[in-house]
Amino acid sequence: MNDPDAKLIRCFQAVFPDLKPEQIPQASAETVSAWDSVTMINLLNLIAEEFGVEVDWENFQELTSYAAIRDMVAAHQG
Amino acid sequence: MRVQLIDKLFLNLRLIEALETIQQSRPATLESFRLALACGFTPLHLATFLHARVKQSFQDRNVILAETGVYGDLAGNLQRATKARPDTTAVIMEWPDLDPRLGVRQLGGWDPKTSGEIVDHTRLSLERIQTFLANLAEQSPVVVCAATLPLPPFSYEPGWQAGHAELQLRSSLALFLTQIAELKNVRIVSTQALARLSPESERLDVKSEINAGFAYSMKHAGAVAELLARLIHSAPPKKGLITDLDDTFWRGILGEVGISGIGWDLNHKAHIHGLYQQFLAALAQRGVLVGVVSKNDPKLVEEAFRDRTDLVAGSASLYPIEAGWGRKSEAVGRVIQAWNIAADSVVFVDDSPLELEEVKSAHPGIETFRFPTNDPAAAWELILQLQDLFGKAAVLAEDRIRLASLRNADEFSRSAGSGPSEDEFLERTEAQVTVETSPQSADARTLELLNKTNQFNLNGRRIEEGEWRRHLSEADTFLLVVSYQDKFGPLGKIAVLTGKVQTGLLKVTSWVMSCRAFARRIEYQCLRLLFEWFGAEEVVLDYQSTPRNGPTTEFLTAIQSGTLALPVRIGRAEFESRCPRLFHTVVRSPQ
Repeated sequence: MNDPDAKLIRCFQAVFPDLKPEQIPQASAETVSAWDSVTMINLLNLIAEEFGVEVDWENFQELTSYAAIRDMVAAHQG
Repeated sequence: MRVQLIDKLFLNLRLIEALETIQQSRPATLESFRLALACGFTPLHLATFLHARVKQSFQDRNVILAETGVYGDLAGNLQRATKARPDTTAVIMEWPDLDPRLGVRQLGGWDPKTSGEIVDHTRLSLERIQTFLANLAEQSPVVVCAATLPLPPFSYEPGWQAGHAELQLRSSLALFLTQIAELKNVRIVSTQALARLSPESERLDVKSEINAGFAYSMKHAGAVAELLARLIHSAPPKKGLITDLDDTFWRGILGEVGISGIGWDLNHKAHIHGLYQQFLAALAQRGVLVGVVSKNDPKLVEEAFRDRTDLVAGSASLYPIEAGWGRKSEAVGRVIQAWNIAADSVVFVDDSPLELEEVKSAHPGIETFRFPTNDPAAAWELILQLQDLFGKAAVLAEDRIRLASLRNADEFSRSAGSGPSEDEFLERTEAQVTVETSPQSADARTLELLNKTNQFNLNGRRIEEGEWRRHLSEADTFLLVVSYQDKFGPLGKIAVLTGKVQTGLLKVTSWVMSCRAFARRIEYQCLRLLFEWFGAEEVVLDYQSTPRNGPTTEFLTAIQSGTLALPVRIGRAEFESRCPRLFHTVVRSPQ
């Protein structure tokens, strides 16, 4: 799976199995009730493993939406 | 080699694959397996890996993982798990659960003056945890992984020196583990196995611990989950090992160097073969069947086993010994037939890749291993690998007599095949059937029989320990645990029947009998006792055909005069009309 969006959506689906793929790009901590601190840590660990990026624990509380996480991954990948 | 083998099984599983494994749905009709995870931290991907791995092990169950976790309260979590009554509980205990100052998340002080206090507090915590763990283990199996993370620098010695306080902590922990290991139902992860999969220096993720409260590196989480999952459920141990002789069992080609030329010790630069023999002798003592297949002159092999009294594994440990010039696959077939077990319960070891391939192609189920004659390190790894394949939780009385009873069974068959009629022969065997009916008689051997027997098995259904205990505790459960002996020797516990007593009938949910006990009409005796002791007019058997339970099908078909209708119902009159004469003396325990 080389498409970063598809890969990121797969990560979100794995952590939030109740979300449909088309809902994921709009997902955020405010719109997804299952998005709590534990799922957030799981999600970031998963993304770290899948994309080979290091989790930015200092600023991880800002990563509260799909869009923000997508930007973080894109920034890491240069 | 060994670590790589386990790697292939699980350690390379990515977190996303574990999450997706958990999400794969299974039919709601499947029985559930409820696993509790008790620890003093938020288990995050450790829980994910464990859940996924246990789900992989239980293909026929819906695995439900209940995290009975309140952060920092392992003792309380054990109590919660006890109340939740899971099928099995995985307990993970780290140093901070014993004293928070032994972690990196608490700032309780590492003053040298407090180290004695930490030791005392740890001891008290262990005592408390032991009490709760014992309560939990009273009702269902518990698997434990303890103190896997390195100790923090709480004492004053340099890192390379084991300080007094550290040694006291480790001593207290060792005592605790020794004591809980003696509890029925408790199994503990081997620190040695964990060290192979997850070196201590790679376990702690300080960053994750500080920021997320989860101290395990991803790899360590996978390793702990893997070993816990193996303790919860692993493939049944192999039953038989067939070994080659030349350059495997001993060093040298017997036909070339003669009886005095073969070796297995340091003097012959062949010590690894001695270790292999020592391991085979130990396997035989544990009840594993060990046989020999060798392309050799049979007379020479016989002489070698007779004259070389210094063999570490002598002929008493080996049965049968097949030496000759035919194809090895045929000899292996004869050994498997003599043992009366399935090929997939058997391991074949030979130094020749060609022979291994020939045997494997004729017996696809058999697992084959090349003996690396000139590489002691690889041979040592092979021994360790075989230990995992044949390892079992306990050595039972039946294991110790297996080889003797197999030889006796051979004598029984030979005697039965010649001379008097079957009735006359059976009458002369002085057979005694001892039947235990109390749930307390259901020991480890009983569950082992239920889960390992294939040929005489009513439905092939495997039963987990927790489920078994629940079944036995129910008021309407009946149980027959059958032992057998005759003039040829004891066979030990060889059959188990269990089910439910209902008005006017008995419902048999599980019935297994060891293949060693075939041809003695014990199956008829079991049914007769059900009718007689429980006063039932009808026995309903939860029979299902499996790829291997042909002998059961054959027996039930004979009782039902050639047509097997499901569910199988056998009336008292029908049974009595078809039951042959039985000659066993029956002893009921308790009377």
